[in-house]
Amino acid sequence: MGAILELQGVSMSFGGLKAVDGLSFDVNEGEIVSIIGPNGSGKTTTFNVISGLYEPDAGDILLKGESVAGLRPDQVHDKGISRTFQSLRLFTNMSVLENVLVGMHSITNAGVIASMLRLPSVRREEKRMYDKAQELLGMFPGRFSGPRQSQPAYSLSYANRRRLEIARALASDPALLLLDEPVAGMNPAESHEVMEQIKMLREKGYTILMIEHDMHVVEGVSDRVIAMDHGVKIAEGSYDEVANDPQVVEAYLGKRAAADATA
Amino acid sequence: MRLAEITGAIQTAAGRVPRGVYAVIGFAIAAVFPLLNVAGVVETAWLRVGVVSLLFVMLSLGLNIVMGETGLLNLGYIAFFAFGAYTTALLSSPKFELQWPFLAVVVLSTLIAMVAGFVIGLPTLRLRGDYLAIVTLAFGEIVRLTIVNLQGLTNGPNGITGIYPPRLLGAEALEAAGSSGAAAWLVVDKPIEYYYLVLACVIVTSVLLSNLKNSRVGRAWNALREDELAAVATGITASRAKLLSVVLSAGIAGFAGSLFAYYSNVISPESFLFMQSVIVVCMVVLGGMGSIPGVIIGAIVLQALPQIIRQAAGAARSDFEVYRMLIFGILIVVMVIFRPEGLLPDKLWRREAREVDPRELEKTRQSLFDLEEGEKDLEV
Ligand SMILES: Nc1ncnc2c1ncn2[C@@H]1O[C@H](COP(=O)(O)OP(=O)(O)OP(=O)(O)O)[C@@H](O)[C@H]1O
Ligand SMILES: [Mg+2]
Repeated sequence: MGAILELQGVSMSFGGLKAVDGLSFDVNEGEIVSIIGPNGSGKTTTFNVISGLYEPDAGDILLKGESVAGLRPDQVHDKGISRTFQSLRLFTNMSVLENVLVGMHSITNAGVIASMLRLPSVRREEKRMYDKAQELLGMFPGRFSGPRQSQPAYSLSYANRRRLEIARALASDPALLLLDEPVAGMNPAESHEVMEQIKMLREKGYTILMIEHDMHVVEGVSDRVIAMDHGVKIAEGSYDEVANDPQVVEAYLGKRAAADATA
Repeated sequence: MRLAEITGAIQTAAGRVPRGVYAVIGFAIAAVFPLLNVAGVVETAWLRVGVVSLLFVMLSLGLNIVMGETGLLNLGYIAFFAFGAYTTALLSSPKFELQWPFLAVVVLSTLIAMVAGFVIGLPTLRLRGDYLAIVTLAFGEIVRLTIVNLQGLTNGPNGITGIYPPRLLGAEALEAAGSSGAAAWLVVDKPIEYYYLVLACVIVTSVLLSNLKNSRVGRAWNALREDELAAVATGITASRAKLLSVVLSAGIAGFAGSLFAYYSNVISPESFLFMQSVIVVCMVVLGGMGSIPGVIIGAIVLQALPQIIRQAAGAARSDFEVYRMLIFGILIVVMVIFRPEGLLPDKLWRREAREVDPRELEKTRQSLFDLEEGEKDLEV
């Protein structure tokens, strides 16, 4: 199984602040890789660079061996990288169903004239999109059933918004799914449920790169864990290796506490 | 029954009727209206009011694409109307002694307006809000001042006169065959003929646009309006989608402008003042941004109502124009305070304008109730 995503010495600064500093790692096909690290360590910035929202100052990003660094976000998305947002960016006034349909934009092709005339090809495509949306929303049993699909996204609970973001990101059949803190703000039962769903996605063959603070979830789903601090990768390996790495403990707890912990 | 219950019942009953039914009823009323003139009940002047109102309906439908769907303000929209009108005037008047076929003229007028849309759309793609308002306003004024000063082409402030009436497909053939009586049927030159021509165009346009609204393209526009960053991260090419909406809306204005030039016979820069752009914006806002039935109603109310009031006030009030703008202003302020989503709002904008929509809340409660009931059934 080859690497789907390769980061090669990627750097990104905001003015004087190096948010990501010479970061390199791979994500292999069918893998779930988690990025952990204290607040402000550059995890979301890494996602923003990968998904084309920022252009890296240095380094390269390869998707299936092809460089995607410097492409526009919609181009990166077309190449097969889809993402969710830590801060939740649904189309809040649009319905649950419409949010998922928008997610299929890049894999559908009805044009303006065909859509105006509602040609048979357009109707067929709409029908296919609708069926696919049912399948995606059906991944979360009981959450988006029947009438709830026509509710506006803003009327959803926090946990359901996170679920809907995942469904929208999956709608384009991405080669790589980036999840930015998928269980943030959920209670333990809810985050356990989402964890099971992420495992299910792996069964279905998705490749996932995930940022997560919830160590229970990280431990539960990750094939590999990458720890970041101050924009730099400080550890990489299995969950146990990374969780017990002295540098990681230090990054989370501070030097003194780390010394106490090992003492 | 209390009043609230009665209005509630009416609303639920009205909600059950499919929207298409209202559209058919509305267009049927519009189609029957000229017959009142034929029967001698209303004066021909009212037919003229009808034609102009329908032209403004067309403009509002076009502006609604950028304002309502994509969320881009345009304060110079009337410039595209001018492009269409002047293209038509030049190709079908004694000015250059041209009389191109109607279809060719309308298509070319639409295309020229679309090119103008592309030219102004491209450099303004990154602008939003106030900046976009200023740039489009300036564009509208530049176009108007160019028309005023480009005397050789446009006759400046005097305008272009004697625009030939449209000759529909087949008129030439019939004339050549020697049956000028039959050919006269295909020449549009009476108000009632214009009325039906423009009405047909409005109906076709609104059907096409409502199809577009509920399609992949329309949803992409809405997504851009809701959250541009999320939209591009979801694979929507912002520049292309925005440009498409600007060009399409410009084309509709150009199309309307072409019909306007034919209808009014004479055009001059006075028809394309900044105030006209503002009026079309008001029509869209009043009717309900993003809502096709809404903007149709908005255009009719703002165009026809003043005429009705003028009639009631007596034709002697020549200062009526002044009051008209005053009434517009007050109306818009009242709307923005009490019903910001417009007269017949689109669901997206209703949600935008009201934190919690009582109707939706009720529906949610109902659907949750249904779900619970359903689950109970399963347990049993
Ligand atoms: N747009 C921006 N402009 C300036 N500085 C930024 C910007 N985005 C992020 N930063 C800074 O870059 C650093 C890394 O931020 P980032 O959001 O990547 O952290 P994170 O690891 O995702 O943290 P968290 O766990 O809190 O989400 C922080 O110091 C942050 O303040
Ligand atoms: Mg973050």
